[in-house]
This record gives sequence, structure tokens and C-alpha cells, in this order.
Amino acid sequence: MNKLSKLAVMILLLALAVSACAPAATPASPTAPPAAEPTDVPVEAAEPFRVAVVTPSANNDLAFSQSIHDAIVLVQAAMGGPENMQYVISESMFVVDDAGAAIRDYASQGYDLVIAHGSQYGGVLQEIAPDFPDISFAWGTTVDTFGIPNVFAYEARSEEGGYVNGIIAAALTESNVVGVVGPIETGDAKLYVDGFVAGVNAGNADAQVNANWIGSFGDVALASEAAQTHVGAGADVMAGTAQMVVGAIGVAKDNGILWLGTQASQTALAPEIVVVNQIYDWSGIILEIIDLIGQGTLGGQSFEITLENGGLYMEYNPDFDLPADVRALADETVQGIIDGSINVLP
Amino acid sequence: MIESLFTAQVLLGILTSGIRLATPYLYAGIGETFGQRSGVLNLGVEGQMLLGAFAAFYAVRQTGNLWLGLLAAILVGGLMGLAMAFVSVTLRAKQGISGIGFFLFGLGMSDLLFQTLLGTVQTVSGFRPLAIPLLSRIPVLGPVFFNQSFLVYAAYLLVPIANYVMNHTTLGLKIRAVGENPEAADSLGVSVSRVRYFTVTLGGVFSGLAGASLSIALLNVFQQGMTSGLGFIAVALVYFGGWRVWGVLAGSLLFSMVNALQLWVQVLGLPIPSEFAVMMPYVLTIVALVVAVQRVRPPTALTKPFVREG
Amino acid sequence: MCGIIKRFPGVLANDCVDFAVHQGEVHALLGENGAGKSTLMKVLYGLYRPDDGEILLNGEPVQITSPTDAIRFGIGMIHQHFMLVPSLTVAENVALGLPSSRGVITDLDRVSKRITELGKTYGLQVDPRARVWQLSVGQQQRVEIIKALYRGAELLILDEPTAVLTPQEVAEFFQILRQMVKEGHSVIFISHKLQEVLDISDRVTVLRDGAVVGSRLKGTMTKAELARMMVGRDVGFQRNRAPVTPGEVRLSLHDVWARSDRGTDALQGVSLEVRAGEILGLAGVSGNGQRELAQVINGLRPVARGHVQLEGKDTTGVSPVELIAQGLAYIPEERMRDGMIRDFSVAENLILREHATAPFARRGFLDFKAIARVAAGHIVDFNVKTPSQETLAKNLSGGNIQKVILARELSREPRVIVAAQPTRGLDIGATIYVHERLLDERSRSLREEKRHGAAILLISEDLDEILALSDRIAVIYEGRIMDIVPSEEATPERLGLLMAGVTKEV
Repeated sequence: MNKLSKLAVMILLLALAVSACAPAATPASPTAPPAAEPTDVPVEAAEPFRVAVVTPSANNDLAFSQSIHDAIVLVQAAMGGPENMQYVISESMFVVDDAGAAIRDYASQGYDLVIAHGSQYGGVLQEIAPDFPDISFAWGTTVDTFGIPNVFAYEARSEEGGYVNGIIAAALTESNVVGVVGPIETGDAKLYVDGFVAGVNAGNADAQVNANWIGSFGDVALASEAAQTHVGAGADVMAGTAQMVVGAIGVAKDNGILWLGTQASQTALAPEIVVVNQIYDWSGIILEIIDLIGQGTLGGQSFEITLENGGLYMEYNPDFDLPADVRALADETVQGIIDGSINVLP
Repeated sequence: MIESLFTAQVLLGILTSGIRLATPYLYAGIGETFGQRSGVLNLGVEGQMLLGAFAAFYAVRQTGNLWLGLLAAILVGGLMGLAMAFVSVTLRAKQGISGIGFFLFGLGMSDLLFQTLLGTVQTVSGFRPLAIPLLSRIPVLGPVFFNQSFLVYAAYLLVPIANYVMNHTTLGLKIRAVGENPEAADSLGVSVSRVRYFTVTLGGVFSGLAGASLSIALLNVFQQGMTSGLGFIAVALVYFGGWRVWGVLAGSLLFSMVNALQLWVQVLGLPIPSEFAVMMPYVLTIVALVVAVQRVRPPTALTKPFVREG
Repeated sequence: MCGIIKRFPGVLANDCVDFAVHQGEVHALLGENGAGKSTLMKVLYGLYRPDDGEILLNGEPVQITSPTDAIRFGIGMIHQHFMLVPSLTVAENVALGLPSSRGVITDLDRVSKRITELGKTYGLQVDPRARVWQLSVGQQQRVEIIKALYRGAELLILDEPTAVLTPQEVAEFFQILRQMVKEGHSVIFISHKLQEVLDISDRVTVLRDGAVVGSRLKGTMTKAELARMMVGRDVGFQRNRAPVTPGEVRLSLHDVWARSDRGTDALQGVSLEVRAGEILGLAGVSGNGQRELAQVINGLRPVARGHVQLEGKDTTGVSPVELIAQGLAYIPEERMRDGMIRDFSVAENLILREHATAPFARRGFLDFKAIARVAAGHIVDFNVKTPSQETLAKNLSGGNIQKVILARELSREPRVIVAAQPTRGLDIGATIYVHERLLDERSRSLREEKRHGAAILLISEDLDEILALSDRIAVIYEGRIMDIVPSEEATPERLGLLMAGVTKEV
């Protein structure tokens, strides 16, 4: 076999690998023109607003990445569909350098708003944004805009819903043991788990809440064993955050343990045991950001989604028979957080 | 506080978790052991696992037949192994880099198939725990060891079988010889490429099974990138195990048990930061590697393509 | 074998060779390196396909396209580099590739029994359960022979079988060959050592430049005649060693210990001295610490204990750069690996050592004119046959590579020279050149002191070479110097015993 055919096979393999990844960058809407050919965009009076999103996991991860995708689809509808707003997404950019390249590509293609959806992207964004002063960038979850005038920051006060979930867990547990599985003890996940632990402790002084972190956002098998550990410790209500918790939900389902979700609706995975999900709805703040861009403000502000501004809300599983008193308690807690009478993480 | 670890509940929990967690490592690690003993380093295990996991999941999702799921994983893993064998044996490409290529291929392809064929995270009803009559009734330990799913039993049964094949059959003799001194094997009429094709394809089959053990037995769910580095750890465990099947078993169990242990350490609220807890299995495995298996030598012809002179 | 032709790109390796072996004879195939001996035998063993010609076995033409075919026809080959798997046992090595009497399951117990039987018949005792890496080189060779006999070989091809053996082992080995011939086997014995060929062969065929020069029967040949046939001209066997009175001690080692790559004690208290104007030969069977000793002296391997002194100055643990500055030259054993950069040109290799100093470099930039001028001088002085200065080193023949190394190392007029296996693998012509050059260094007078030449430590596994060149001979065995004898008192027998670890007292 000569060198040439060796080369050919390697290139073929590479091409296959690349093509396998490529669909991640296809437009979310079938009517939208391909992202790589901005010249195809009809240059009319009402030029569509163009948004690009880079996410660390898939847009259907039932968690973090899906939350931004769902939001932008909502925004697109609110703005009158793909004619008025074009949207592309690069998913599964778990390698930060790859994400950086994608961000730079979108910026140089002249997208009006480039969203880097992951706190790990801060470093690359800080390098890229100053090179494109006419492009607006947004990144989360954080409150830090680096003082760069064309960077917006956004964050979820995920501890609020975590607290509400904690209150519900405290009310539902009979064994007085509650478990929560997290990825890495940082950022959004840490806020949620801290809020959840505070909620359980506030709701039921006798209840014990166990937390464990598995050190990974992707290890479904280890998340499953983390949940098994909670089962072994006697938990009868569990929660967890980040995309690998699908493994934990499976364990909860097998053992008939109640599950409290966050980030996106996890009800479909186990309708019989999911009680409630804290849903992230970024659409409000994204509309706000698009509005600001229209007014000429390209960044410098940070946003939060909260229970108060409706960016966070509790979605109850209609198939789960939640006792009315618990539901009332949960609603009361939400109200308390909104009006400030409950301080989630003092 | 530390004594809270030594209760029956915790120790049994660690044992049970460890046995389950070790299952994919066993399949992938034993397959990789065959490949490496014959002189081929396959770094594409992770990609083979992902595609195997997806194939099994999708087949079960479509047909509801678990055995068809297993067959799908075996076929897909085997095809990936065959392709790796073609690139590394026939084309004599650098094994390290082509393995990475297959990893990326498996990662991307499983993602693509997931997006187009499933669209969202779903579940299947996979292999259920199978209580072995009598044995599972043994007090305390019975439920731990003898109430697992079929694929877990099979993984542990594979250990003595693989060991026997490697050390007591003519095939195993050929594999060991080809990995140590392919010229010698060749001079005795042993086809080096045929042996390597066999071991690398077999490795692919086992990697596929490792993926299936996750997606249709232990987790019953498929998500992109769900193996999350397990395949690479399996390769590392082959080194840890000193290229011996029993060593791979020991490494898999050690790594898995310590992982289970650290989850319990966190649950019991021992005063260890979670960042350190999650490092424990890696640190301990490295320490064990340095202390215990220093003397073991890799197969001499590992990563070296075989070319007959002249 | 009739009219065998084998071409390689640019080389005609076998030019219409006819070669025949009778049953029950030892037929030696004699020739220099590159004469085409190994090629011819690889054709016979099915490793190479001939471009033309045919092979007849017992009068029948046969097609041998792979070693499997050869084995089936009763041909066994014992390669120069043993084809053994070190981590496997003797029995496993023998059983490899053979069908088992138990189907897929190995039958090592039966194989072992048969190995023991063969051992008894032919005097080839070896433990079937031993792992090959634990065996001595001589024992490994027995395993190779057993492997061939086990497969029913009638005709054995032995490629330079004695190169790795001590004289005593050679004697035992010849005993085994005679036994095999008596049992009706035929043997093809490839060698370039004249004395051995004379000792063992019933018939000798000489190859030169790929063609048969002639055949002689036992009793009708002399050493000088065979040598002439081999080289194509008369060869002198005696070298003129000008008497030189040794001067001061230039290199000395006191109780030096060092570890091998595998962590064992490769050197166990070596003490020796080399004086100006003398060649100290270090004899020994391969792997007894020679490599480590050369590396220790050249600062390439740490000394665990003891001292190395260069001209009275302690140089233990001193870096190679400083050693070079003090006048040490090193002709390494693995000349392609350690003596050269294969992908550099001849000129670049010639100035490798001094490349960073004037006149070759000025302020960090290479002066290519100066390099070319000096390289051209070296190429003429040392008779390097190369198409040009720009030719890559890897394209030179072994002899010319060694000349490039000699030019680089010796043109500096070194005070101490360590020459490790300087002629291994070289043909007779190149070997003679290297020998003459070393003798010149020994008797050359240094510019400043006009009295004594270099102190030379000659490390070699070739006893003839050691005997021909050395003033004194040290024998190393398992990391210890067994004895140091003046060359006038040294005989191959006495050295051979020492090389095998037998001291005089025993």
C-alpha cells in the first residue's frame, strides 16, 4: 500500500469525522439560508436580525444547552419567524478552543448577536470580543462583562428554584433523607445545589440532605451510581443538575424515588416520578438584549433570570399527584422569594 | 467520622456500585488487551463504545428485542474494529493518531445518528437484574453478586475465558508471539496481519458490548458523549493491568470501587472537598500503578506495524 | 538451486547463482558482507521471491513462496538475529504456529517431552519450561535448532551462527552440527570466518558481488586461497604493529560500578588503565558490560560507584562536552544510531562535534564555506567514498559511515580514543582501513609533545581483531574484568576461557 492511499484513507476518515460533527452548525430553521454564505441573505430594507449560539452540549440535552435553544426558538417566534430573525447553533462544543473558533467565525460573518452559552467560554470571548467592536456578544452564566462595551452577561438565579425544590423535597420525604447529584462544584450547578440544600433544611429540620459531585458533566454511568449511593443512604426524594443526570433519573425511576428537575423539563424521561422542574426561560432577557442592540447598545450590561422576572418558573408534572398542601407551600415559597421575604442564600 | 464508612450498608453499597461500574471497563479493557498483546494500540475504544451504545439502544428502541440490541452492538463494534485493523495493519498508519481518528468518528457519528434518529434523550427497557436461584439468597452478599443484569455476569465470566484463550490456546500463543516478535512469528508461518485483524476486530466487538452494557443494561438511556472518557480509562487500565486479563480485572475493580467510595465519602459528609473526592480514583490508580506494576514490560512490538523485509 | 537471480533497486544481489547441497554434508557459503549469501538463503527459505531461476529438491522443481512452504519441504533456517519470542517459554516458542494435538488448546506438555527427546539425540539440552530471555545466547541458538528439527527439517540453513558465541561455545556447537550430519541432516553454513569454515565444512562455495566465485571440497582448500576468492585480491593476515613504548596513563578506571538500562549491575568494580601509545583490547561476549563501560567513560551513563580519570583528572560524572574538550574521542558501537544523524549530509555529520565553534560557526551562524572546505579535506584524507558532501549519511555503506565517524573523531588528534566494535558489520577492506587508522593513532606523535600517540581502548567481540591490534588484552565477564594479559601471552583458548568466566585457577 503506497503513501498516497494511506493519505487518502486518513483524509477520508477525517472528512467523515468532520462531516459527522458538521450538522451541529446547520441552521435551526430549514428556511434559513446556510450560515456560511452570508451573501445569500436578502439585502432588503428590513434585514433579518441574525443570532448565533455556541453551546457545550447538545440542544436537546434536557438541561443547560436545551434551555438557550428553546428560548431562542421562542424569541424567533415572537419576532415573527425566520424572515425577521435567523438563528444558527453550534452544539457540543465541549472543547473550548473549538468553541472559540466558532465564535470568531460567526462574528466575522457579521452576526448581530453571538451568544457563548457556557461559563467556560469566558476566556476566549474576552480575547475575541474586542476584535469585533461592531458585533454584540452575550455569554453566561455569569454577571461579568469584563468591562468590554460589546459584551452582555446573563445568569440564572438557579438557587431560587433550587430552594423551592428543596422545600418540596422536604415536604415529600418520608424517610427524611434527600439526595442531590451535581457535576462539578462550581457556577450554576453549585448555586442550584446550595439553594436546594438550604430549601430542604428550611422546610424540614429533621430531614438530612446528601450531596455528591461526580466531577464530570457527561459521565452518565457515574451519575447513575451517585444516585445509587443516595438510594443506599435511604433517600426517597432526589434532585440533580446538568446533562449527565439522565443516569440518575433512571435510577430514581427504577427505585420509585421522586425526582425534582431543573434547567429544562425532564418529565418525559420518567413521568411517574418527576414532580416538578425549574425551567430556565432566557427568552425574556434575549428579547431585551436584542432591543438594546436595536437602540445601539452592544453590551456592558448583565442580566439575571429570576422567579420574579419570569425567567425562572416552576413547571409541575400534570401526571404527578402532588398533594395540594405541598403545592400551596411551594407557591407560597415562590411568592416569598419574589417579594423578598425569603432570602434563599443569606 | 471516618468510621461511618465501615458500616455494612456503605461497604455493600460500594461493592455493588463497583461491580456495576467496572462492567464497561471489563469489556473494553479485555478487548483492548487482546489488541495490545498482538501489538496494536487502539485508542478508538471510546468511539467504538459510543457507536456500540447507540446501535444497541436504537435496535432495542425499534424492535424491543434486547438480543437484537446486543447483535447490533457486536456488528457495529466489529465493523469499527475491522476498519481500525485495516488502517493500522494493512495501511500501517500510526496507531495513536488513527485511534484518535476513530474516537472522533465514533463521537461525531453517534451524535449525528442520535440527532437524526432519536432527536431527544429517551429511555428503553433494557436487561433487568437477573437473580440467580439459590445463590442470590445468600444473606447479605447474595443480592450484591447474584442479582445483576445478564451483561454484568457475562463481563465477569469473560475474564477467566479470555485468560484461558490467551494463555492456553494456540490462538493465544500466536497473539502473544505476534505482539512480542512478529518477525519470529512470521518466520514460523504465522500470519501477523491475520492475527492482528482478528484481535483488533475482537477488540471492537468488546468495545461495542461495553457501550451496550451502558445503554441497554446499566443505564437504559442514550445521550451524546455518554461514555465520557470511559473508553480511554479502559485503555489506561490495560497498562495498569500489565497487559494481563486478571490485571485488567483488578484495575477495573480498584478504579470503580474507589469511585464508588468517593461518592459515599461525599454523601456521608466527610470533610473532604468534592474536588479532591472526585480525584481519588485517578490518584489511587496512579499510585498503585507506580508502586505495584513497575516491572511489567509492554509487548515489544506494541504500536509497531509489521513489515516483512525485502 | 539453479540460476537464481534476485534484484533489489540498484543492486543485483544474486547474479545467476547455482548452488547445491548433498545429503549429510556441511556446505559452507562464504563471502564478505553484501556478497549475497543471506539473500540467496532467504530465497531458498521463501522470504524473498527470486526474479529468475529455479529450486530443485531431490531432483524435483519446487515453488517456495513462504517460510511455511520451506518448512513443509523440510527446510529450516536459523537467522543471524534469533527469531525467538523472549517472553515466551522454550516450549511455547517451539509450538508457535504448529497445530496442536488438542485442537485449539495448546499441548505444551507433549511438546516439552519431544524437545527433551530431541535434546538427547542431538546433544541439545535445554529446559523446555525456561523463558527464552533467561537463556544464554548459546542456549537460545539451541532453541532455534530444536525449532527447526521439531518441524522435521532435513536441511538447515545457519546464517552466521558463530558470531555470538565464545570459542568454547563454538566448539560445542560444531559438535552438535556433526551429530546432525551423522543423523542424515544437511547443513548450509553461512560465514565470513575462514578458520571456522575450514574446521567444519565438507564443501565450501564462495560468493562475491552476488556471483559464485568457486567451490572447493574439504582438504583441497587453504585459508589464503579462500580469502583471495572472497576479497578478489591477496589479503595479508599479519598487521605490522610498530613497537611503541607506552607512555603515561591517560585513562584509568577505579572500581567502577554502573547499572544497565534494566537496573541490574552491569559493571561490578571495573578497574583498568590505558597508557599513551597503547591499545588495550577489551574482549568479551556481547552483553557483559562492554556497552555500559563505553558509555560510562564517555559520560553517557551515570557511575554508581568508583572513579573515572582522564589524564589524572577525575572525570566521573563530567558531561560529554567537557570530556570532548579534554581530548576524548568516541567511536560508538551503534554507528547508525549513536554516531550519525542519518538525515544529515556527510558534511554536516563531519562537523557535528565542532559545529558551534569557529571556523564553522560565527556568532551562531554556520559558515557553509568553511564547512565545505574542511569536509572536503576529511573526505579525501579518510578515503570516504560518497557521491558528494551533500549525500545523506543514511545512503552511505557501513564502511563509509565508519570512515566519516573516524574522520570526525580522529582529525582532532584525540588523546584518548574509545572504539566500540569499530569493525562490526564492515567488509574486509573497510575493516583493514579501520585497523590501520587505529594503529596510526597509536603511534602518531602528538603535535605538542612529540612522544606518544593516543591511548586507545578497543572494545570488540571479534577475538581475531583484539589479538591483531592490542598491546594488552582485558577480558570482561558479567561486568568484571577477569584478567588483563599482554598480547604476546594471549591465545584464543586462554581468552575464550576467560570470556566464559573461567579463571586460571579453576
